[in-house]
Amino acid sequence: MTSANSQLRAEGLSMRFGGVRVFEDISFTVDLGGITACIGPNGAGKSTLVNVVCGVYIPVGGQTFLNGEMITGTSTVEIVRRGICRTFQDVRIFPTLTAIENVLAGIPRQRGEGVLSAFTNFGPSERSNRNAAMSLLDDLALSGVASRPAGELPFGQQKLIALARAAATGARFVLLDEPAAGVELSLLPNIAKLVRRLTRTEGRGVLLIEHNVDFVRELADQVFVLQGGGVLASGSVQQVLNDERVIKEYLGRVYDA
Amino acid sequence: MDHLFYIATLMSVWIIFSLGANLVIGYTGLMAMGQAAYLGVGAYTAAVLNIFFHVPFPIAALAAMAVSALVAVATLLPLQRLEGFYFALGTLGLNFLFFDLFHNLAPRVEGSEGLYGLELPAFATGARNLFLSVLAVTIVSALACWRLDASPYGRALRATRDRPDALRSIGKEPRMFQISVWAVGGALAGLAGALYGATLFYIDPTLFTLNTSIAILVFIGVGGLASLAGSVLGPVLLIGFTEGLRYVGLPSTLTGPLQSGLYGLLLIVLMLFRRQGLVGKHDFRE
Amino acid sequence: MIQTLIIGLGLAGYYALVAVGFALIFATLRIFHVAHGTVFITAGYVFWYMHRIHGISLAISATAAIAAAAALGLAIDRFLYLPIMRRGGGMFSVFIASLGIVLVFDAIYLVLTSGVIAVARTTSMELWTVGGAAIRKFDLGIMGLVALTYFLLYLWLHRTRTGLEVRGLTDNEQLAAAVGMNVDQTRNAIFLVASAMAGLAGVLTAYDGGITSDSGNRTLFIAVVAVILGGVRNILLGSITGSLALGIITAYAGFFYPEWVTFCIFAIMIILILFRPKGLFG
Repeated sequence: MTSANSQLRAEGLSMRFGGVRVFEDISFTVDLGGITACIGPNGAGKSTLVNVVCGVYIPVGGQTFLNGEMITGTSTVEIVRRGICRTFQDVRIFPTLTAIENVLAGIPRQRGEGVLSAFTNFGPSERSNRNAAMSLLDDLALSGVASRPAGELPFGQQKLIALARAAATGARFVLLDEPAAGVELSLLPNIAKLVRRLTRTEGRGVLLIEHNVDFVRELADQVFVLQGGGVLASGSVQQVLNDERVIKEYLGRVYDA
Repeated sequence: MDHLFYIATLMSVWIIFSLGANLVIGYTGLMAMGQAAYLGVGAYTAAVLNIFFHVPFPIAALAAMAVSALVAVATLLPLQRLEGFYFALGTLGLNFLFFDLFHNLAPRVEGSEGLYGLELPAFATGARNLFLSVLAVTIVSALACWRLDASPYGRALRATRDRPDALRSIGKEPRMFQISVWAVGGALAGLAGALYGATLFYIDPTLFTLNTSIAILVFIGVGGLASLAGSVLGPVLLIGFTEGLRYVGLPSTLTGPLQSGLYGLLLIVLMLFRRQGLVGKHDFRE
Repeated sequence: MIQTLIIGLGLAGYYALVAVGFALIFATLRIFHVAHGTVFITAGYVFWYMHRIHGISLAISATAAIAAAAALGLAIDRFLYLPIMRRGGGMFSVFIASLGIVLVFDAIYLVLTSGVIAVARTTSMELWTVGGAAIRKFDLGIMGLVALTYFLLYLWLHRTRTGLEVRGLTDNEQLAAAVGMNVDQTRNAIFLVASAMAGLAGVLTAYDGGITSDSGNRTLFIAVVAVILGGVRNILLGSITGSLALGIITAYAGFFYPEWVTFCIFAIMIILILFRPKGLFG
């Protein structure tokens, strides 16, 4: 088993806006090299959960630990620097930057990214960064549009670019907020391929917020279901997706619809 | 001939000023409407050091860059709290604040409103020599901006402009890029200010008003935002045009109003028909 | 000292007439209408030209000047702001274009008047001496006129259908955005009413101290600071209180430290917006 030192662990997170409760007492873990999925109906607070973990909101209760150290209350930028990066459900790419520039922007501590260091010899490091960015785009079958302005690409491709950009930060934990939503079905295997590369090959941990149950079944190791402000069920994919309550309360409705 | 050199020197000075303003406004998307204040700080710093303390002019100009950059950052820090349009309004207020500061506190030569009496080094004395010296500085400034544009830093500036929240989400603080580019813009404005004084041989507070800040907006707006060619094209075309009018003998009581009227008209036409200017890679989004 | 206070109140009257129109346009349409100062000064010049140069009667000249202001304000919106917004321009673009109008008109007036101050008045001001202080009857007249205008404006906003729609816009950002795109009666009415009030202020200023080509900018920016100070939650109350404060501040500052008046005004503006970083609605 993985130790607490290589884990992203949330303990008893609670969030409310004004008097309105979003969720209460949510706990989960993401292991390095593993994929934890979070499913649940719209409005269950899945995106809010990502925002809480990333320091956009401060929870009213509970804490998040990264490798055993508490990170709750730390700024977003600092949390990314410590190794947790997230994507947004509504893609937020840099529209006037090209696809590859978007990915390059994600790479941390680049040579030449300051006023003074722009006048040093950043060429070699820029070239190797470009290769790394290109290999990420390759995995997503995007190398053909690498030099097109990202804002001109279709929504699905923009979403993949945002994914590659988050991966490029080198964060040990990547939180993906509905990466498959709004993406053409034909692109889903590309997302799956990148997520597997991040976890199986590079040993990073992924929290997958997702609506698409088939996608979750295919990728995730562990799942928890967020519903009515609490965790309805959690455990291995096998257990949870075959849990009667989950089928009745959540999956049933999805399949009906 | 000397007059042509004078016009070309003036263009070069304004190109330096435009380069800095374009980095701030065009590349980084900060709606700076008070750049004239930093131009004035540079002009006064260099003139005071040179005239009263006999500091050699090139060193005084470097000091002007440093002081302008510092003043720029000091004024930016409080204004960074403001969002979008209100940021523009705050920077616009700087023109009036600094005009009164220059007008009431800056030293002046007895019996005049401003300062004169710069001692230029031998290699920059005479219209031709001054032009060549200023041109050399302009070329160095343009190359520096080109390098910044092509570097990862330039990429980060454009990312800051596009989506500061997304930049934050990948662990980079947009404010840091805004502050550093504002310092570069301030330094270039300070350099331009020092050279402006050397070109005119006389400076007074009326050179550094809202109209000057608007003029720079017209220059880079017409030339093109987020484009080095735009920073060069705008001043060359517009100064060429108005100085041309003076050259063909239009009385000076008319050239002033005609110039500002033309700038006003250009702003209207730009906003109506071509917000990216002639060769711009970006437009006034808001 | 009383004298300075009365001068301040008189100034506050001009500011209030300009400020309330600016606030009305800003609060309902989110347009930062700097050319409102141009509208103000245009009325002043029309009035000066008719009354002083051609000796046309006070009433006719003033009416024509106010009508010219209203027409100019409406035209700026119809032929400049609306087209820009239709082409996707935002608040900043409209503001820049508005500055363009200011530059163009300033240049025209500067050339036409050769920079000489235009005073429309043909007689001297009557003074009233109360306990050693000389008070101009004109300043009292301005205060009365401003009170009457504000009263009529109150009736318009609260007792008419158009006024009700205008107030609806101030509370509703989405609605304001939608109306921003449509030419409708409400939008036209806002520009007409606001510009007419600036026109009245322009006539009074030209009659009183006279105007130069840069008076428009100066008055407008003071009015803007008054609006920022008073806020636009309540247009009438906000602009009158802001204008009173600014009128008194500029009168006293002008008396003691005339060379620092502008500095004071803009320092106040910057400090105020720093406390309301999200704008005037916060």
